[in-house]
Amino acid sequence: MSDRSAKQLGATIAASAFQKQWFANLRRRVFDERQPYALVQADVPFELFDLMDIPAVSNQWWAAIIAAKRQAPAYLDAMSADGYHDGLCRYCSLGYSSTRYRDVQEPPWGGLPTPRLLCARLTCDCIHRVFSLWAEAFGSELFEIDHPGAGELPPRWWELGRHRWRELVEPHRLAFVATALERLVERLEAISGRRFEREALRQRMEMVNQQEEVFDAVRRLIATAPEAPVRMTEQISNVMATQWVRGTEWALAHALAFHDEVKHRVERGIAACPGERARLMWVGAGLWHDTDFYTAFEESHRAVFVWSMYLAFGPDGYIRYGLDDPMAALASRTASFNEYLHNPPWAAEWIVQQAREHRIDGALVLRPRSMKPAGTGRLFIERALEEAGIAVLPIEGDVVDARGWDAAGARAAVQAFLEARVIS
Amino acid sequence: MTANAIVTDSGRLNVVISWPSVPVEIVRAAGLRPIIVRSGPEGAAATPAADEHLESGIFPSRLRYLVDAALTGRLDNAACIIVPRTSDPDYKTFLYLREFERRGIARTLPPTILFDLLQSEAPEVRAYDAARMKDLFEVLASVTGRQPSLDDLRLEIARTNAARSAVRRLAALRHVVPRIKGAEVLPLLSAFWQLPPNDYAVVAAEAVDLIAQRPPLDGLRVLLAGAPVDGTALHAAIESHGAIVVEEVGPWGSAAAGDDVDCAGDPLLALADKYRRDAIGPRTPIGALRNSISRMLVGIDAVVVWLPPEDTTFGWDYPALRDLFRARRIPHTCLRGDPSDHDRLKTLVGAAETRHV
Repeated sequence: MSDRSAKQLGATIAASAFQKQWFANLRRRVFDERQPYALVQADVPFELFDLMDIPAVSNQWWAAIIAAKRQAPAYLDAMSADGYHDGLCRYCSLGYSSTRYRDVQEPPWGGLPTPRLLCARLTCDCIHRVFSLWAEAFGSELFEIDHPGAGELPPRWWELGRHRWRELVEPHRLAFVATALERLVERLEAISGRRFEREALRQRMEMVNQQEEVFDAVRRLIATAPEAPVRMTEQISNVMATQWVRGTEWALAHALAFHDEVKHRVERGIAACPGERARLMWVGAGLWHDTDFYTAFEESHRAVFVWSMYLAFGPDGYIRYGLDDPMAALASRTASFNEYLHNPPWAAEWIVQQAREHRIDGALVLRPRSMKPAGTGRLFIERALEEAGIAVLPIEGDVVDARGWDAAGARAAVQAFLEARVIS
Repeated sequence: MTANAIVTDSGRLNVVISWPSVPVEIVRAAGLRPIIVRSGPEGAAATPAADEHLESGIFPSRLRYLVDAALTGRLDNAACIIVPRTSDPDYKTFLYLREFERRGIARTLPPTILFDLLQSEAPEVRAYDAARMKDLFEVLASVTGRQPSLDDLRLEIARTNAARSAVRRLAALRHVVPRIKGAEVLPLLSAFWQLPPNDYAVVAAEAVDLIAQRPPLDGLRVLLAGAPVDGTALHAAIESHGAIVVEEVGPWGSAAAGDDVDCAGDPLLALADKYRRDAIGPRTPIGALRNSISRMLVGIDAVVVWLPPEDTTFGWDYPALRDLFRARRIPHTCLRGDPSDHDRLKTLVGAAETRHV
């Protein structure tokens, strides 16, 4: 019997160790050296912060850490007791909750120090409120990047993003986001006392391109190998550890190490789940409080999760060629960023294309309990997958809130789904 | 405008609008008639066509009606549908409508336009909104083939300002010394969005004359906060306990008009400023909403906070509001899900009466 929680790749262990060390360094910088850091939404351009020597902590990453440490319920109970109703988004607010109710328990890794700045794109309606409350709780400054809506909707967005990114976003939206990013840079200059170098941004984005090209190669390896060489959970660990510091030397080196290890496994016929019988995709954010779920069907059904958005979105969402105006290129990535992952027409087109490329047999689609805006577009995705001949099982759950999660029931539902619709 | 009304009113000069954050002045200047979708009293009416495509618990009933009407051909004759960016469900509705068209799910939809009004306080927003006003002005002119001038627009603004003045006079009759109940006055106030402004000004002035003759009403004065309501059911439920709803947060009541639009300068910029500042919805900045509610509390005996099942936003304001109400010693209750929770309302009125005595 294999140990499903054991890491199969050395790169995964290195990625986890890096993140823990990175966070320890951050706390040391902030507490001992009184250096500023920023607390940001996952979809803001981290490159700008890093170039100005202001480390940026992702809200979603921090929420995932709390959830993975099984600490979310205590914070969320405190939130409910304070009058926040249960229909409010828990993913984006768990970090706020860990600050607002910091006395409830000792947070992971010593907790978040007080940031100099919080920064968020105003995507969902709740983001302005969650970040305003969080900034109030810390007594810190909030920088907001408003989110214009897309009026032109190219369905196959990933075919435009790399070379034709100016066609992907309408000129007025591109200009608006670029202006907002320029304003952010001015603020970061004032905080850091450093001068922003446009050439440094161009070079950083070239490094980001290289990093995502490596992930593209990893994606091809996974898609084309006879059996998946790496578990989805380990894909996520390796990808996200690098995405938060993307374009740095460590990130590129780690991406290459990850690639080489996956390639080595493919060349030697080493599979994540030897004897693979079913290839699964996970559509939605990860179930951070129960990541064992993703390996739970390997032994019983030889069913392995092959795909999630986390690896695939790197090459398709980040790469920008033609960096004469790096801020405009960065703005084109930022303008619609996570909309592509959820909403029509973008999400369903991409996910079906990815499912075909990865020879997916069955798709599990998250029906998020509290992240309502992220729950839109789901029916379009489910239908498009079914129309493409890919069996779909909706899974209702919350990505950080384990309180209503029926782990056994969900596993039983997947087993029944595999037996009835996937494994013939 | 309810679902049934869309059916009968979907004429070629009608523009169907999902929320009153679209400048009706521009719509009318183009020779079009704005019809703003509301859930209205038919809150429980079935929307089977929409239900096939809209995820549950996310879209408020007004948007389910709109989508249902679109999918069943009831909007076929409208000049266009305008969906503002002033809430995430509205924006998603725009994306869905476009997708229905792309996939052939709805074969005969009129043009669907996103009105991308942003509401944050970022400095780049003002110019962006003004440009979107200009876009809308031009797009609607192309819909009708009639190119209004900026002076035409100024005239429409002046007419609408006159209607706003009428709204304010009407609203004054329910505040300090209320002479009309909330459930009765709400339809009069919300008609601001539906009637031609000249007609509205006349009708509202007549109503003001009549209501001003009435004796003052006895009863606790209640503020309705939380998510905006577009019907009278909650007002009626509160008032069935002897209280009077004297103000509410949202675009359908006393706040329908807001301040006048100053059209001496660039009317498009003036409209952009007005609608960004005054449009009330989930993307109204938290500070602006808190300040507004704080001002409304003068003379208020009790507050009802309404948070519907699909709420993703206003619930974030609740603990701070609760603390504010407590600091001002104003009893309040929070209704979540059931707008006619009479036990809570009765308890609230009892608490407020005790304090009043």
